[in-house]
Amino acid sequence: MQTLQKALRSGNQMVAEGAIKAGCKFFAGYPITPASGVYKGMIDLLPQNAGIAISSPDEISALAYCVGASMRGYKSMTATSGPGWALMIETVQYALITETPVVICVVQRLGPCTGGATQGGQGDILITEFATSGGYTIPVLYPSTAKECFRLTAEAFNWAEKYRTPVVLLSDKEIGMTTESLDYSGLGDLKTFDRKTISKTDPDFKNWKMYGFDSPDMIAKFAPVGGDIKVTATGSAHNALGYLKKNDTETISTLLHLEEKITSHKNEMVLVNEDLQDNANTLIISFGITARTMKDAVKTARKNRINVSALTIYSMFPVPEEKIINAASDCKRVVIPEENINGQYRKIIKPLLKDKEVIGINKAGSMITPEEILERII
Amino acid sequence: MEAQETCSYMTHGAVMPFCKGCGHSNILKKLNDAMASLKLDPEDVCLVTDIGCIGLADALFDKVHTVHTTHGRSTGFATGLAVADKVLASRKMKVVVLIGDGGSMIGLLHIVNAALMNVDVTVIIANNFLFGMTGGQQSSLTPEHFVTLTTPFGSMNPSLDICRIADASKGGFIARKIATDKDLTDVMAKAISFDGFSLVEVLELCTEHGTKRNDLKGGMLAQMAEHEGHELGIIKENSLRKEFSRKYESDVQSHTGEIKQPAFIEQESLHNLTKAAGIIISGSAGERVQSSAAMLCEAAVRCGLNTTQKNDNPVTQGSGFSLSEVILSPDEINYTGVSRASYVIISSEAGLKELKAQNIFKRIDNDTVIITDESIELSNNGYNVISLPLRKACGADKATLGAVDYAIRMYGLFPHEVFKKVIEKKFGQYETIFKKEFLTFWF
Repeated sequence: MQTLQKALRSGNQMVAEGAIKAGCKFFAGYPITPASGVYKGMIDLLPQNAGIAISSPDEISALAYCVGASMRGYKSMTATSGPGWALMIETVQYALITETPVVICVVQRLGPCTGGATQGGQGDILITEFATSGGYTIPVLYPSTAKECFRLTAEAFNWAEKYRTPVVLLSDKEIGMTTESLDYSGLGDLKTFDRKTISKTDPDFKNWKMYGFDSPDMIAKFAPVGGDIKVTATGSAHNALGYLKKNDTETISTLLHLEEKITSHKNEMVLVNEDLQDNANTLIISFGITARTMKDAVKTARKNRINVSALTIYSMFPVPEEKIINAASDCKRVVIPEENINGQYRKIIKPLLKDKEVIGINKAGSMITPEEILERII
Repeated sequence: MEAQETCSYMTHGAVMPFCKGCGHSNILKKLNDAMASLKLDPEDVCLVTDIGCIGLADALFDKVHTVHTTHGRSTGFATGLAVADKVLASRKMKVVVLIGDGGSMIGLLHIVNAALMNVDVTVIIANNFLFGMTGGQQSSLTPEHFVTLTTPFGSMNPSLDICRIADASKGGFIARKIATDKDLTDVMAKAISFDGFSLVEVLELCTEHGTKRNDLKGGMLAQMAEHEGHELGIIKENSLRKEFSRKYESDVQSHTGEIKQPAFIEQESLHNLTKAAGIIISGSAGERVQSSAAMLCEAAVRCGLNTTQKNDNPVTQGSGFSLSEVILSPDEINYTGVSRASYVIISSEAGLKELKAQNIFKRIDNDTVIITDESIELSNNGYNVISLPLRKACGADKATLGAVDYAIRMYGLFPHEVFKKVIEKKFGQYETIFKKEFLTFWF
């Protein structure tokens, strides 16, 4: 018999384990259903892994603590749900403009407002992505299983570190709180990436600036607060040295670089699963919990000798445009099931699907079923 | 060279960006002197500045780390910096927050929590009784009757005594000073060198918005404080509480290794399923519905099955219904809902009510085995119902567990022996888990 390492784990627990694996050393949490499992996981795991997890008095503090710890040089994460994310929106922009790596796990629940704490939902896709004044891209990853929670949390840290940016790991109640059997021997090896740092002895130091860049894709090396180089950080528009400036060319280009540095790396930020079939009329595009449902619908359709293609999206933002266009190229119809009322991701990708019939399956308050997707496969 | 000069943290020849007569210039010069008197290594100092005029300070200190934050949140960022430094890094950084009276109220909980945690952060509140940068609006630290842009007839509210808030938050060093006090440097130095949370509120005048609207002179600040009932001077200085990182060392780090991750689940037997089985278990919160489902899953994994367990309950955790949808399958499980139930367990009236509310009977057909407590009346729609005295024989808290145990025995999903071992691990010897009647009732 093959040596399996089976365990029962929830998505939330695997987010915590993935974070530890990625080298997370700091976590601050505030309780909220359905994300509290990540908080508890980190409280149990971090002290035994040379890190620290603390409680915070609200979500604003939670993210501010994480940004502070990351500025000191340590990989940091917090976890919340829709109502908490709403409170974090100012602080996540601070992380973005100060180019501070941080991971925020947003476990979605039914909205709006406090909505349904113990009900699932996929309604925070747009509010996670468009949380910044100015519309800067916040990279968003979205797993659909406990195993993927592990892998993509680690990837979220890698992206945060590599591109010096906040990254949102989107999840939802049905992934976060559902327990499933999982084989650790199948988790595979994870590559982890640590931010490139700089000190005065570094040969690059002479030409280095806090937020300097020579090309759109360049990410300045990180100087930690407490290191031998003076850190100048501000949440206001600033020049390459980090000093608040108004309207000079360098300041505006430093601002624009916040977006350029992401878009110029977008080809390295593509994570999808393509299950494409020849002669398929329909392509289904899904993510998160609904991607699992899609798989069952596809299986049944194929059993009934109907060809159908399926695309699971893990890297929600930047939008994996080429993969979407390519997957849809031979299909007439694209079906996009998502557990929100107006097809949030559908709105984003519809412009890519010219000449296609684009159909949404939308629902609030309960999971979309395989039958509801199957009905739309012809 | 003057000792003080070698230790200056300010930009050489820095021009203060503040209005003539503004207290901020004085506060910042004295802060510089205070740090110099402590001979702090500039690398080990971080000034965290808030929004407002006092927040312009970061641009004046080019030798130390400066972090200029969002409004009111400076103490939050400072807390993260200080905790990371003390617990994870060099343990020597001094973090000083510069915040105005407006910021201190919008960010009050960050100050309160930093004090409760006793992190090594010094909060200096430059209190000129109003929001200066935005035109002189009222703040929560504006004294009663004080005229501001938005209180043209005088403030209706008394001002917050933030030092007493810091005291109530168990902060160890608390002082209220006036910007022109000769010993302000010494008091700030004491606050910064204090090993733990410290707060210094400095009273001063906004010459642009404060003195123009109120008949005020610098000498009247002490009188104003007295009138508001606010104590001046060093209000509290005690080091009875351990600084956060040392408390963390003794209270948490000393327990390293005590929390164990659950061991891997070894396969010990084989199952009898040829396809997935969906099991819906519904009962009352606090009666081990979800934990019975978890034990069912563990036993199933021990027999080589894949499992998912999707739970539902109201927002409260100990009242109302509790429901688990379990799938056991020899194959990979995708959709985690039970589309068609093979087994349904209803252990209480609350469980039945929820099944009806969620329309779960639509997912039940005549082949579904429904195991219910005898107290539950199901309309006879041709359902295959097995009514058992679960609550009587097993007790309310183990009625669900008894039903799961029954289903495994009767329908042979996998060997009952495996489930028995799983529940014995939790509850002790099988024969003692349920009431005596249990074993005789239906076997």
